[in-house]
Amino acid sequence: MRDYFARRLRRLVPVFIEPVEGMPPADPDQVTSFAHQFLRAGTPAFRMLFYAMVLVLQAVCLATRGRSVYSLPPEEADDFVRSLYSSRFAALGAIPTVLGTPIYMAHYNRDDVQVRLGFDVHEMRREAAAREVRR
Amino acid sequence: MIIKPESLPGDVRREADVVVIGSGAGGGPIAKELAEAGYSVVVIEEGGHFTREDFDFRAADAFTRLYRDASQTVALGLPAIVVPQGKTVGGTTTVNSGTCLRIPRHVLKRWHLEHGLKDIGEDELNLLYAALEEYLFVKRADPEVAGKNNLLFLEHAGKLGYSGGFLPRNAKDCEGFGVCAYGCPSGAKQSANVSFIPDAVAAGADVYTHCRAERILVRNGRATGVRGHFTDPRTGARTQRLEVHASVVVLSAGAIQTPSMLMHNRICLSSGWVGENLSIHPCGATLALMPEVVGNPKGIPQSTYVDEFAPEGIMLEGVTLPPAVMAITLPWGGRRHAETMRDYPFIASYGSMISEHDSAGKVVAGPSARQPLTFYNLGREDLDRLKRSILLMAEIWFAAGAKRVYTPIDGFKELSGPRDFMRLSRARLKRASVYGLSAYHPMGTCRMGSDPYASVVKSTCETWEVENLFICDASVLPTSLGVNPQLTIMALAMRTAGFIDEKLESAPTKGEEAGRLERLRARLRSEKEAVARRLSGESTPR
Repeated sequence: MRDYFARRLRRLVPVFIEPVEGMPPADPDQVTSFAHQFLRAGTPAFRMLFYAMVLVLQAVCLATRGRSVYSLPPEEADDFVRSLYSSRFAALGAIPTVLGTPIYMAHYNRDDVQVRLGFDVHEMRREAAAREVRR
Repeated sequence: MIIKPESLPGDVRREADVVVIGSGAGGGPIAKELAEAGYSVVVIEEGGHFTREDFDFRAADAFTRLYRDASQTVALGLPAIVVPQGKTVGGTTTVNSGTCLRIPRHVLKRWHLEHGLKDIGEDELNLLYAALEEYLFVKRADPEVAGKNNLLFLEHAGKLGYSGGFLPRNAKDCEGFGVCAYGCPSGAKQSANVSFIPDAVAAGADVYTHCRAERILVRNGRATGVRGHFTDPRTGARTQRLEVHASVVVLSAGAIQTPSMLMHNRICLSSGWVGENLSIHPCGATLALMPEVVGNPKGIPQSTYVDEFAPEGIMLEGVTLPPAVMAITLPWGGRRHAETMRDYPFIASYGSMISEHDSAGKVVAGPSARQPLTFYNLGREDLDRLKRSILLMAEIWFAAGAKRVYTPIDGFKELSGPRDFMRLSRARLKRASVYGLSAYHPMGTCRMGSDPYASVVKSTCETWEVENLFICDASVLPTSLGVNPQLTIMALAMRTAGFIDEKLESAPTKGEEAGRLERLRARLRSEKEAVARRLSGESTPR
């Protein structure tokens, strides 16, 4: 991923993943690293769309809130993202959907996050290792 | 053996009886059958080879390693629909749910009546299905490991009077680790990577991984081999070249890549049906916030079904989602997303699959053979059917005690009770208001038939135009099946292997071959002379 977009994405992570009690906080570096891998493995069209959406998100925020999305206080950032998701215009709803895909995937792919949700990957890996099925 | 590019000293140039492009539900059985019959078989697979030890329960990583384009393949249209496809040894069978259903009788009848495929008899298919079911350990999902999510849904569907049951699956001693779609970590699921391909290799077949077939070599109207190149598994950059000369070429790259390959090779195009007739079984999913822990995702993800509405083209099938996938399914972001995800253990899920009536799609050549463009137009009738399937799932979830049901429909993302339910049932949906749809069964883009002007392959799966080029994957299915297609693809592959075997056994001697070439040259000469006469104004002699 280009440095410009990596920097922007790192700053977008807290906008998409709000800290909530009982859950580990988001790690912008881990999210950026996964997004890099996800975009590289994917289609050029999705990659371009993703980069475009980073810019469009900022443009929409400047137009509707009068300030940069990166400088919105947490409550306002949350409200902004929510307004996009619930927009009547499908194109606006697509902005957070596209950007959120690698961000959420990365965060909820972390072992420590999954374990907190009852999806105990360590336990299941141990169980699977001891349970080889042969034809 | 299974050969990775890093173990090769340089370019590969070799001969074989059969070269198979793709190692999934079509390519796997053909490779096994022909290798066991004593033919030299080469399989070319674009993805990598992974074993159960590599499958680590991390869904997001599986997308980048096991799926084509990190699962970002989209059928363009309103709404855009994600069409995930496997790209690994075993193809999509490595990442599907393992459901093994036979072709519904009415669909086979339609193939007979509308596509002239009467020689694909029900009895013959049943024999093939039975053999496959035994080989793949197909049996109904064990209720012990079916998962609370699936059991709850099935129980309450039954209470509402809807018929359903446990799905037949190709799994042996399954413990329900719940991650079938990201690689089975115990090896229980009998996908092609643990069944057909190892058996083909044991019988002497060679499988080249990280190798992309580019050119189908054709000479005098006959397929003679395949040319391609390997890729670096880490960077995707081209590395060594591969050229295999073979008596028979089998194209089993799936319903999106197969037509793309034909288009880029400019072969088999004269019927006009290559890439057309795409059906995908559009799928919707509902999530339900339950008052109790549903134990997600332990248990078989797709263990149950409700088929009460199958005659209308609606099939409800179980699905469970690991956190990384549920997170991208939720229709909101920010704080609400985080809070909903915190309820993950309480969230149940189920899916619906629509058998198309008035939707249509197509695959067209993209900027490169690797990147075809897929278009799909969801028809009005099918959109209404999709809405109905979502209402049915919501009804069942509410009957099971759900506090809220989350749907993929704008304006109805959250249903809290009967009032929202009625509001949705009265609403006339727009195509743009449905989002987050996916489809797992692309089919029909090189359809089979008895008419060379209306189909791409014969009932033997050999192409009408290029001799010794066989296509065997979901692309040959002439219509939407209405059920998961892997078992039918495998049955057709077994059948095709029989025709290839016959063909190879009766291959012409060198003398016969020379005679055939002479006749072909004479025909070309006379056609050329006829054209020259027409151009010079002479009448063509009768």
